[in-house]
Formats: sequence, structure tokens, C-alpha cells
Amino acid sequence: MEDIKNKTRQNLGIAALITAIVTFVLAVIPCIGLIAIIPGIIAIVLASVGLSHAAKDDSPRGVLIAGLIIAIVASLISFSQVFIAGKIVDKADKWQETIEGIVNDVQDEVLQDLEDTNVSIKIQNGDEKIEISAGANKKEKVEELEELEGENTSIADTLEQN
Amino acid sequence: MKFAKEPYLTVNLILAGIIVLVMIYSAIFSPDTNNYPVVCIHEKLTGEPCVSCGLSHSFSLILRGRLDEAYNWNIYGMRVFLFFFLQLFMRIVFSVVYLKYSDIRKQLIIMDIMGSIILFLISFRQFFVYLLHYS
Repeated sequence: MEDIKNKTRQNLGIAALITAIVTFVLAVIPCIGLIAIIPGIIAIVLASVGLSHAAKDDSPRGVLIAGLIIAIVASLISFSQVFIAGKIVDKADKWQETIEGIVNDVQDEVLQDLEDTNVSIKIQNGDEKIEISAGANKKEKVEELEELEGENTSIADTLEQN
Repeated sequence: MKFAKEPYLTVNLILAGIIVLVMIYSAIFSPDTNNYPVVCIHEKLTGEPCVSCGLSHSFSLILRGRLDEAYNWNIYGMRVFLFFFLQLFMRIVFSVVYLKYSDIRKQLIIMDIMGSIILFLISFRQFFVYLLHYS
């Protein structure tokens, strides 16, 4: 009778430990981490039942304790994935704003680059050749304007960007 | 029957059986027909693929020797597959050593636990990083 009891307790310990190890491996894989909570609970129950039996007759409980600890940690990792999924959903909602921000930044950079470029257009029709050069550089334009106004001018024109 | 008396051997036998089942699963389901029964719950919930997406495809392709394609499906697939493969190897070797040398059993179990933990942390490192990043 005692042998049967010991064997049952040992089997409970083995079952709890194996379920706990499998739960732990499953829990850290994000794809299936959430469902690991089910074997996690099973492992905790098995280990707890085994421990309560072991406490009655003061038999060794190393395997049961190991199974219980691994199962609890694995279940916590598995349960934490609910919050992780929630955080990812929150971040996904903010991605639209982030992408808009990036597009605006790129647009500003392109406009800034265009402002500093010199554009030269050449039109050739037979012997006739026309060349138009337009420097978009803001600094150059300001200097040009000041030169035209002269030193004693009372007009204080500025070149403002619209 | 020695296996029934020794919990360590029973645990090894069952874990080896589970790993063999993982291998059979990867061999049965084909990446060409895409008939995998397990879908990514994470992706279903968030709409975003996670770091472990494509792991089943990767395992199947590794078993079929298509390593480049396996790498494309999941870059950590090979690492995780190697973990399972080494664990299968370790379960067999450690069980044989356990049966053969009864005087070093305790040291053997401690070595097995330490080795498995280190191997697990190396193989699943990126998954831990992913989970910690979002938690």
C-alpha cells in the first residue's frame, strides 16, 4: 500500500516537472506563449497535490518543488504576454503619427535642399541660345538685394520665406 | 524495469519523446502546402508579426535540408532547432551515462540542469529580448 502511494507521488512529481518544463519552453515563444498558461496551471495543480500528499508522510519533495517553481515562473511569463500584446497594439496605433512625422521631416529636408540649390536652364534653337541661371540660395539673394539698395538706403527690405 | 524506479530516466524518456513529436510535426506538415494547424496567436491579437513567426516553417525546411529558405522564414529557427536537437542527444547520452556510472549520478544531474539552462538561454535569447523590450 505504501509502495503504491510512493509511486503515485513520484509520478505526480514527474508529471508536474515535465509539464512545467514544456510550459516554460512554450511560454518564451511569443507565437504560442499565451496558451502556455493552460499547461502552467495544470503543472501548478499537479505539484501542489503532490506536495500536500508529501507533507502528510514527510517524504522527499525535491522534484515537486522544482516543478512548482518552474511552473509558476512559466505561468507568469505566459500571463505577461497579455500585457505585451496590449502594448504592441498601443504602439501600432501610434505608428500612423510616427510615419506622418517622418514624412514631414523628409519633406522639410527636401525643401531645405531645394532652397540652397542653383537652377540653370539652357534653351537652344539653332544658333540661338538662351541661358537662365537662378540661384535659389537665400543668402545670395539677401546680399544681392542689399547691393541694389545701396549703403544709404532707408528701405529695409528683407527676404522672408513664405 | 529501471526506468520506472528512476525519476531522472523517466523525465529524460518523456522529454525525448516530446522532442521526437516536435520533429514528426515538422516533418509531416509541409511549408509548400502551408497546412500548419498552429497559428501565431500574437499576430492574431496584435496584427503584427512577432519574433517567433515562421518558426514551424523554418523547422520543416531545416528537416528537408533547405537551410537558406529556413533562414528566410525565421532567422532564429536554426538556433532553436539546434537546441531541440541537442536536447534529444543529451537526453539519450545522459540516460546512458546515468545507467552506466551510478557513483556520479548527482553530479550528472547538476551538470545536465546547468547545461540545459545555458543552452536554453543562448537559443532563446532573442525571444527573451523581445519579451523584455515590450514588457
